[in-house]
Amino acid sequence: MSIRRLLIALCALALGLTPLSALAHKESDAYLTLRTDATNDHVMHGQWDIALRDLDFAIGIDANHDGAITWGEVQTQRKAIEDYALSRLEVKGDGLTCAMQPSGQKVDEHTDGAYAVILFDAVCDKNIPSKVTVVYRLMYDLDPYHRGIITLRSGDKIAGAVLGPSNPVASLDLREPDRWGEFKSFVTDGIWHIWTGVDHILFLLSLLLPAVLIRRRLPPHGNGWRVGAALAESSGALMAVATQHPRYGWEPTSRFWPACLDVIKIVSAFSLSHSVTLSLAVLGFVHLPSRLVESGIALSVMVAALNNVYPLVHKRVWLIAFAFGFIHGLGFASALAGLQLPAGAMAASLGGFSVGVEIGQEAIVLAFLPLAYLLRKTWFYQVVLLRWGSFLIIALATGWLVQRAFDILIPGFSAIIPS
Amino acid sequence: MGRLQLHRMSPDERRGDSGVAHRNGCCGALRFFVALALFLTASVVQADQTTPYTPANASVVLQLVPPTTDPRVRRFNQLRNDFRQHPTDMSKAVALALAYIDYGRSTGDSRFLGRAMAVIEPGMEQPEPPIPVLLVHATIQQSRHSFHASREELMQVLKRDPGNAQAWLTLATIGMVQGDDALANDACVHLANASSDFMGIVCTASLRSLTGHAPQAYALMSMVEDPGPKAPVAIRAWVEGLMADTAARMGKPDAADAHFKTALQMTPGDNFLLADYGEFLLDQGRPRDAINLVSGDIQSDTSFLVWVSAENALGLPRTRIDVAEMNARFQSMAQRGDHVFMREQSSYMLHVLHDPKAALDLAQQDWKVQRSPKDVRVYLEAALATHDPSAATPVLDFVARTHLDDVTINPLIAQLQEAPSIAAPVATSKPKGNGP
Repeated sequence: MSIRRLLIALCALALGLTPLSALAHKESDAYLTLRTDATNDHVMHGQWDIALRDLDFAIGIDANHDGAITWGEVQTQRKAIEDYALSRLEVKGDGLTCAMQPSGQKVDEHTDGAYAVILFDAVCDKNIPSKVTVVYRLMYDLDPYHRGIITLRSGDKIAGAVLGPSNPVASLDLREPDRWGEFKSFVTDGIWHIWTGVDHILFLLSLLLPAVLIRRRLPPHGNGWRVGAALAESSGALMAVATQHPRYGWEPTSRFWPACLDVIKIVSAFSLSHSVTLSLAVLGFVHLPSRLVESGIALSVMVAALNNVYPLVHKRVWLIAFAFGFIHGLGFASALAGLQLPAGAMAASLGGFSVGVEIGQEAIVLAFLPLAYLLRKTWFYQVVLLRWGSFLIIALATGWLVQRAFDILIPGFSAIIPS
Repeated sequence: MGRLQLHRMSPDERRGDSGVAHRNGCCGALRFFVALALFLTASVVQADQTTPYTPANASVVLQLVPPTTDPRVRRFNQLRNDFRQHPTDMSKAVALALAYIDYGRSTGDSRFLGRAMAVIEPGMEQPEPPIPVLLVHATIQQSRHSFHASREELMQVLKRDPGNAQAWLTLATIGMVQGDDALANDACVHLANASSDFMGIVCTASLRSLTGHAPQAYALMSMVEDPGPKAPVAIRAWVEGLMADTAARMGKPDAADAHFKTALQMTPGDNFLLADYGEFLLDQGRPRDAINLVSGDIQSDTSFLVWVSAENALGLPRTRIDVAEMNARFQSMAQRGDHVFMREQSSYMLHVLHDPKAALDLAQQDWKVQRSPKDVRVYLEAALATHDPSAATPVLDFVARTHLDDVTINPLIAQLQEAPSIAAPVATSKPKGNGP
């Protein structure tokens, strides 16, 4: 064998020489701690210790390449460090990603050297649930042996995981599932959903407006007495069966309780039907395209208001409430669907939301009924509110229906009232 | 500092989906793992509580990193730029990975193993990875003590390229570390055919040093031709290191000492040599020399272990602080799920922390992975210290089978064989019951 060949062989072989204890140092680690805030449910305070050696390798911290990283160099690179690290971390609460907001920079010493400390807040949507998911991708393309040591602290509870490029996701129990807290937060959600849902409110009000009035046949002009009209009136069936239109007018109800009973019937029917479809939809048994649902809701508002102007149904308004309640329930469900609820929180959230919707609804009713009862005899109530108000509602609902069904924007319409 | 964390991460913990023990667990095992993970996390968190601070001023030096004045750093910066410009060229990737491994090996900074791994990973994803890529991959696996995976990859390489000397050498090394003499012997023969008589002889000699033929091995190593001054210095330092180990095994400390010194002159600061020589000095009752040897390298865990052990042997007042530091280092390794220092940790548990039961437990774990003379030794020491000679049976069988002959091990075997039979230790080690 020639000397040259031997040397080439030896150069190549020098690679495999020291077989043992090549690991004289710990490999790359970073330490991520998330702490819940006892006073603010939406925020977790984060501390992320990343080795300066790793950051230097990844983005270059030693600006003057003298082999010594100074605090000044770390400070100069603060933004770059935060951008690099925080873009490789996701914190999710029940499927919703929390926003990362850097809040400070420090330094920490670990057993293998100095670490840059990124202080940050993970600002999460609405409710921080019992489970938090961490997606960790620091160094994933630079060092497959990098590990992120994750610790979650909530009060005196601690959960942890070790993540790395081949295993980047962990779901951690943040605290005892606070089902009552979740329930309450969803009750609030439900209340707000109905209070801010103009279409739901207008539907309900349209149905309730005539409740403090009684529809009476006015004395006929001429001899147009028809048995059919009486039948229609008493049965609540289509008035159109009458061959000649009798004249009707509104009269204030003389006693409070029958009016109240009417309201209770309407509200209960509405609650019953929308609860059914809300549950079915959230549990995944029913799914309708949202365009259909939203158009249906607009239609329901239109029909309810129309009924006040050209009454088709009077004594059994609760039937309208019941029938269209199904479609409103599907609308409520779409508000919950965006939250990607964990299976365990399903019962609490669904129940809470339904209860919230009921409370929101009852509150509207409680505010409406005494006021309506007091005003029922006035011209303002009978003409301005009931008649003109209903026309206005019909106009709005028609606008919604057109917009939603044909997926178009009517210029200027959305500016008047958001759908 | 609390007690050293000895427990292995539970599978739950490693997968990363552990959590608070508030689940409707279906079985006891799950609940146990969750509880264990909880306990682990809690104790780990307690130990890892350092306090972040703001340095006094901008000129405070926080961390030393490889400077560009180091030619090796300039070289791998050059190779890195090369690779970035040709990201699909696997030969560039391999060159960069080798530079990283080389740097990591000489400085002991194992972060460079991971960096090398990342560079060649795209090559490994090809349906049939190029042989150099596979070889680098196997080398990194071996360095991280993933011997089984490394072995399989080397077999793949050799199936495609039976004359690959590098693969045979690495395979021989794994065979020797794992006490698989048949594998090591076979690989040494192939290595001789594939490369040179020189490599074949050194390979065979180092195997014979482990199988009861240390004097013959020493003679063989002394006789091999000097590969010449142009040969890589690492090769010559390697042979010197092997001769040092062999001389020590034969009970010739002066010769061993001289070989260690020569090796270190050739590769000053070599992390592996420092630890090996340091352990030798401790064996020789020269803790002062051991401290002087590693004093410039205590950021390395293996050197720091020598340092702490020497301090402990001397009874220095600083020992307490450094023992705490060493515990913290083991703990942060355990925290990330690494268990590559089980032998070193076992020896530390036994001689520094005086916890023979934990030492034996670690030695038994270690024995499943590697079986070099040092692994044999710590296992036997731990078995003796726990008065449990029966625990040593698998190791005694191994020594009988391989004919390992080592002056640091022979007395231990003698003691264990003198010890009362298997059932006896329980009776003899028990204190006598209270008399009437």
